[in-house]
Amino acid sequence: MQQTIDLDSRMILVCCGTGCLANGSMEVYQALRQQLSTTEVQVKTYTKTTGCNGWCEKGPLVKIMPDDITYCQVKVKDVSEIIAKTLQTGEIINRLLYRDPKTKKRIKSHHEIEFYKKQHKIALRNIGEIDPASIEDYIERDGYKAMGKILSEMTPTQVIEEVIKSGLRGRGGGGFPTGLKWKACADATASPRYVICNGDEGDPGAFMDRSIMEGDPHTVIEGMIICAYAIGASAGYIYVRDEYSLAVKNLAIAINNARSRGYLGQGILGSALSFDIEIVRGGGAFVCGEETALIASIEGNVGEPRDKYVFPTEKGLWGKPTIINNVETWANIPVIINGGAQEFAAVGTEGSKGTKVFSLVGKVNNTGLVEVPMGTTLREIIYDIGGGIQGGRKFKAVQTGGPSGGCIPDTMLDLQVDFDTLTRAGSMMGSGGLIVMDDRTCMVEIARYYVNFLAGESCGKCTPCREGLKALRETLEAICEGKGKVEHLAFMQDIAETMQTASLCALGRTAANPVLSTLNYFRDEYLAHINEGRCPAGVCRDLTEFYIDAELCTGCGLCSKNCPVDGISGEKKEPHVIDQEKCIRCGECVNQCKFNAIKVR
Amino acid sequence: MKISIDHQEIEVNPGDTILEAARKNGIHIPTLCYHEAYGGQGMCRMCMVEVKNGPATRMVASCTYPIYEAIEVETSTPAIEKIRKNIVALLYRSSPSSEFMEKMYRQYHGGESDELQYSSDFKDRCILCRLCVKACEEIGTSAISAIYRGTDKRISTPFDEASATCIGCAACAQICPAGAIDIFQSDTERIIWNKTFTRVKCERCGEPFATREQLDYIAARTGIEGYEARLCEDCRKKNMAVKIIEASGEGS
Amino acid sequence: MSANARQVDVEKIVEILDNYPGEKRYIMAMMQDIQGEFKYLPREGLETIASRADVPLSRVYSMATFYKAFSLVPKGRINFKVCDGTACHIKGSNVLIDQIYKHLGIKPGETTADGEFSIETVNCLGACALAPALVANEKVHPKVTSSGIIEIIKSYGGLADATDD
Repeated sequence: MQQTIDLDSRMILVCCGTGCLANGSMEVYQALRQQLSTTEVQVKTYTKTTGCNGWCEKGPLVKIMPDDITYCQVKVKDVSEIIAKTLQTGEIINRLLYRDPKTKKRIKSHHEIEFYKKQHKIALRNIGEIDPASIEDYIERDGYKAMGKILSEMTPTQVIEEVIKSGLRGRGGGGFPTGLKWKACADATASPRYVICNGDEGDPGAFMDRSIMEGDPHTVIEGMIICAYAIGASAGYIYVRDEYSLAVKNLAIAINNARSRGYLGQGILGSALSFDIEIVRGGGAFVCGEETALIASIEGNVGEPRDKYVFPTEKGLWGKPTIINNVETWANIPVIINGGAQEFAAVGTEGSKGTKVFSLVGKVNNTGLVEVPMGTTLREIIYDIGGGIQGGRKFKAVQTGGPSGGCIPDTMLDLQVDFDTLTRAGSMMGSGGLIVMDDRTCMVEIARYYVNFLAGESCGKCTPCREGLKALRETLEAICEGKGKVEHLAFMQDIAETMQTASLCALGRTAANPVLSTLNYFRDEYLAHINEGRCPAGVCRDLTEFYIDAELCTGCGLCSKNCPVDGISGEKKEPHVIDQEKCIRCGECVNQCKFNAIKVR
Repeated sequence: MKISIDHQEIEVNPGDTILEAARKNGIHIPTLCYHEAYGGQGMCRMCMVEVKNGPATRMVASCTYPIYEAIEVETSTPAIEKIRKNIVALLYRSSPSSEFMEKMYRQYHGGESDELQYSSDFKDRCILCRLCVKACEEIGTSAISAIYRGTDKRISTPFDEASATCIGCAACAQICPAGAIDIFQSDTERIIWNKTFTRVKCERCGEPFATREQLDYIAARTGIEGYEARLCEDCRKKNMAVKIIEASGEGS
Repeated sequence: MSANARQVDVEKIVEILDNYPGEKRYIMAMMQDIQGEFKYLPREGLETIASRADVPLSRVYSMATFYKAFSLVPKGRINFKVCDGTACHIKGSNVLIDQIYKHLGIKPGETTADGEFSIETVNCLGACALAPALVANEKVHPKVTSSGIIEIIKSYGGLADATDD
């Protein structure tokens, strides 16, 4: 690949992260290449596929450099126009530019778009700018410079000191100071030592790690090599969740490329360090994100955790000292070494240094990946970057920390996001999932959803977690079906407490959080279900009815046309009626009706 | 080294678990999944105790916590009682036909069992302590294991079918604290884990004492095949006694 | 219960397993490759793995049932993986699951009697911005609506209506 692009040539970057691929970006890329090879273009052009830009909502995204133009929702039929206009003459196609909903103006550069403006990219610094299959692209952007630096200028102890000074804390949810973990492992006596990357991103709604593994695999590899040097490890494993096949593919390519350059293998860069990495695929088990379960899985067992009275830094994989860190944590390491701990620690809050990648999803306008300095408020993320709630609906809550976390109501939107603030509020930052919910989300149903998820993902070994989740699930189902009793709330609280104190692992200890936090902030919603047999959000099937207000209905028929069960009937221009027997409460009719005539009770 | 359990000073070896140390000194901590033959499994969480190490106090499972420092242990605080109460309640909820769990419930919960809302998804009597799995592993047959996960976790043979390695020794049923494993048997037959075995009669007293497969297995593993192998345990002891007497010369 | 009217190609299994040392730590990879080839884990596969890795069959069976990535039942020609991650859930993934049940008569984990379609739920495909999403044989379908799912079933040759079981 080219080292630099001449000012009079053009680089076209087509996003091929999972999101854009699903929207057809590979077809766009192929059409681009095919047409460029047959069309006479004045300028020299290069095309490249990149990893996820984070803004999946507006994909397929196509960027043109050095003009710094970002085209959104590009289709195959747009390709010829892009070539004829933008590439040939530099003319910008306005309709493909993002239109700011507030100012109504078209924006050319993604740097100016509200979604990206407030972001500060460190872990995501390369994604969307490089071809993940090209090690040269990575090297061009300071890649493997940190590795070179430590091997020639720093001792292992100095490396660990730097990571400690940076204040980096684990990005997978635990938030443990990374440097201290490395130090503990280096101080252990046994050998060999192992380095593991936890790529088992299990939180539903989170895809930060996926994007990094797909879009910038070398940053993970370089981070692991640096750690291997610091703790004296000879073998590394990247445990990738089974569902992430593109990540596995791109990591494998990157590892091969690193090997052929001598960055992995025997005597790296002529030093005494010998280190190589193997990819291990997960088997579809959320619990394997827990480090002792992950270790058990690599060893060839079921992913059941063990009591952690002795840490993996002392007795981990095959009973040897092991470092396990999350993908995003690894992505920060090369930056800390290159720029220095002080520069890294200049961003963030007192207790939480650096940035955090969040996956902002749910009922928000700009869904996608967002990397901001620690300490940014929820309001800024959801409203400034996220563009507010979809459809202009009312914000109800944001779920943070995945199934181990909790929900935050609107009264707490000005909370700064970092490790400690959210925990004090009864939730946790977790791996960075931010699921935005509006008034059409039932918080009781959400608690039921998470408990049901955890009941299936729990390893099932210990009583409090397995039986506790069973009891919680049955109770929440009863409440959602209108069979709840007031005593159930105290019952759940009691069981939750036992789960928190007696469970064997962090999954069990945090499994009751969704129930506890929704009970804390949305108790009235539970009571409405129990005492009034009503679901205020209009979600719980047995407690809701969708009906058409005859006064407001114009008989336009849009609702019945889009009803998937053919459950709406009515003559043209006459008020329509919903058949309650057929209604599945999908909400399509509500979405379609322009007159707000469809109500929920 | 010395630690204290319930204000009693105890001598321990580094690496001993709290439960082992307690048992050696006659201090009772309730357990459901512990067996001295296999050590602690950390599954039932009945054995939780409070450990004070310097300024920090935490709740740990005494059966898996290794002692390396001079800790102070409390085996019965209100918080611990609450845990035990809820654990037996949760297990009884799932195994309402278990006499064993009823007994445990009475002992550690004490309330009226009518208050308890039984799970609509009860699994007979199994409390998933996995002692049966351990026993089978120790015998060397590993015919049963814990399958699936989460709330679907249960013990069974592969594919829920008769296992090729099961020898019908019923060690699993014997060690099960909850009587959850069913054995159907007559004088000549035993059915366990969906497999039918022929029962063999003791050559001396005529009582059925083992399955054919069990004897074959023992013969294959130990080489013991002669007369002693075809005796039940009682008769084997008596036979041994006779031999000792004979061997010690003309006895009294 | 299995569809073992089909003859499983044991030679193929052996060929796949020859890629790995006979050690416990490779059991997952062995199962993944066999699942990839046969679209499920045939019994012979588990038995061969047990003897290769020198572990009891019960242990291999425990692993095969613990990890959701594996199926002991043959998948359909078209396998729907409906994402039930939180983002997809609040955007109505359960409606899609219901629709598939309504039109194909199968619940998550099941395969139609003719072996054409199967459905499973997965915990987050990582395409949260495209919720609700589902994957049909590796192809990701974004933002699937309750009527859209019917079109998708039809596009793969599925029956249009009626809830046979």
